[in-house]
Amino acid sequence: MPHSDAGFGALLFALLIATLTSATPLILAAMGGILSERAGVVNIALEGLILAGAFMGVAAGRTSAFVGLLAALLLGALLGAVHAFLTQKTRMNHVVSGLAITLLSAGGTRYLFQKLLRDGVGIEGLPQWFFIVLALLLPFAILGLLSNTRFGLRLRAVGENPTSARMAGIAAIPVRFVAVTLSGVCAALAGAFLSMSVAHRFSPDMSAGKGFIALAAVIFGKWHPLGAMVGALFFGFFDALQSQLQISHVHLVALGVEWTNPFLLDALPYLMTLAALVTLVGRATPPAALGLEDA
Amino acid sequence: MKQRLLERSGMLRPVLSVAVGLILAAAMMALSGYAPGEAFSALWTGATGLAAGPPMGTHDLAFGSGHIALFQMAQSFSKMTPLLFCGLAVALGLRAGLFNIGAQGQMTFGALAAAAIGMRTGIPAAVHVPLTLAVGAIAGAAWGALPGLLKARRGVHEVISTIMLNFIALDIANYLITHNLHDANSQNPQTPEIATSAILTPLIPHTALTHGLTLALLAALAVTALIRFTALGYAIRAVGLGAEAARASGIAVPRTLIVTMALSGALAGVAGAVEVMGVQHRYAVGIAASYGFDGIAVALLGGLGGLGVILSALFFGGLASGSSYMESLTNVPAPISVIIQAVIIAFVGMRPRPRATPTPAVPASTTPAPTPEPPAERKEANAAL
Repeated sequence: MPHSDAGFGALLFALLIATLTSATPLILAAMGGILSERAGVVNIALEGLILAGAFMGVAAGRTSAFVGLLAALLLGALLGAVHAFLTQKTRMNHVVSGLAITLLSAGGTRYLFQKLLRDGVGIEGLPQWFFIVLALLLPFAILGLLSNTRFGLRLRAVGENPTSARMAGIAAIPVRFVAVTLSGVCAALAGAFLSMSVAHRFSPDMSAGKGFIALAAVIFGKWHPLGAMVGALFFGFFDALQSQLQISHVHLVALGVEWTNPFLLDALPYLMTLAALVTLVGRATPPAALGLEDA
Repeated sequence: MKQRLLERSGMLRPVLSVAVGLILAAAMMALSGYAPGEAFSALWTGATGLAAGPPMGTHDLAFGSGHIALFQMAQSFSKMTPLLFCGLAVALGLRAGLFNIGAQGQMTFGALAAAAIGMRTGIPAAVHVPLTLAVGAIAGAAWGALPGLLKARRGVHEVISTIMLNFIALDIANYLITHNLHDANSQNPQTPEIATSAILTPLIPHTALTHGLTLALLAALAVTALIRFTALGYAIRAVGLGAEAARASGIAVPRTLIVTMALSGALAGVAGAVEVMGVQHRYAVGIAASYGFDGIAVALLGGLGGLGVILSALFFGGLASGSSYMESLTNVPAPISVIIQAVIIAFVGMRPRPRATPTPAVPASTTPAPTPEPPAERKEANAAL
């Protein structure tokens, strides 16, 4: 049975599945990033939105996974709307607002976790394929939304040049509110995947920087939905590769360093993402009005 | 036209923000079934050391009708120390328009390098202490200069690169403390204890309050002086207000970005070194806690000025030590302090929309420019992610 070809095939298959699993939350969150940033709103709140979605999916999903998912998406929408409010109505710096929301989610979920979920009882949750299929389809849906619908056109218009958009009768703030709220839904979906389908429980800090990596994927893909998906798969591949290397006990020592040590392998996807941003992508041009308050 | 990260409006805004944060926290405690009065009393005692009742034991000092628990007070000051360094690191970056989310990784590297030098023996203390601090600063500076370089030369946004570098720093540190720098006498992933010649002695016996705090206060002074009185400080402020304009007036923008990030990293690196030399006496897992990230809150609440950052580090140091004391006494989860932090940042960051500014009449010629280039200075300020 363990013929070498079959072994290699099985390894490739395992790598593919692991890549998809690792990339799924990144793709979902990156689509949130695209919606928000193409409308001109910097969204480093993604990290916190993921965490909030992950928490709510489990906290509300004990009796029914569907209820949990719905609650997670609603919370994501709510926090997305808060980000829109802070940046558009109170003119807060987008990065500062994003940080505040991320901190609020980190502190809030940790607080409620200690209060409510300490028992650590797992939930049945939702099957992984559900989210994986969604992650593979969503980028195309977002692409269609951006390029073929009236709302998509308006979204891009307020992201590129709110002044011109206003001249054309499009008010930036309502469009951005919708875009950033939807962005929260996407990020919460990513969080729900992590807690409801992968871990089957919530743990504080389970977002583990995925919101920021999703943003890197957005930049990697030059703010194009399919490009961002490729960026997320790129990270997912190296993440999958490093865990496969850890499992397969490959041993590589050179220059007195054990390169295949789990800790160093852990750094691989981050290193590759950084390297990709530095070399492959070059200077990416963000949407012209990104981060600016509407004129 | 220029968009500042924060409008600096004196003390009123920060104080109001803190008040709103505390009130919302009280509401949250009440909603989740705790007694806010009791919790805040514990928080206050934990933060300041001030408590009712006569002093008990050698670590209590009589004060009016009550006493000061010296240990709790020292705890707040010792938590304030890395917060002040990291707050200064973030504030310095922000002055140049750089969002240094990487203080966490820079502090980790500073701590690791300091532990590696600190564990050498046979160096006199007069040399060992400054040497260890310097090595921590250099390690932090190197880890900070890297994202500065990537931003200046390749346009890689510092928020993304520093986040990646935080993970990488932690992974490298974890590797080294289980391999080359591993403490042979322990199963734990940690370095050996540093030599006595590299240890900062506590100002109050058996506490972690050391001259590290003095150093942090001096650093605040130095950063303020740098920003206000030096050519580099002028360049930093100019770049922060608008890279395009700074470039036009002859400032070497790439160089300024790299140097600022290196200095910012150095401050975070010293935070790590002081934590090793004064508190843990070795590099152990989690030594940087979340000080690097908390530094962002410290810098924002402090309004980026030297004195403001000192006061805000004092507040957050007290909040950190007070909230864990509160949790042990009243069971109110300590993460409530993070919620308070978030609310404070949100309220400090709000900038009221200027009222009754009539929409400026846009001259027809500038409206539909083929490549609508937004005003560069505003673009720089808001970190185009």
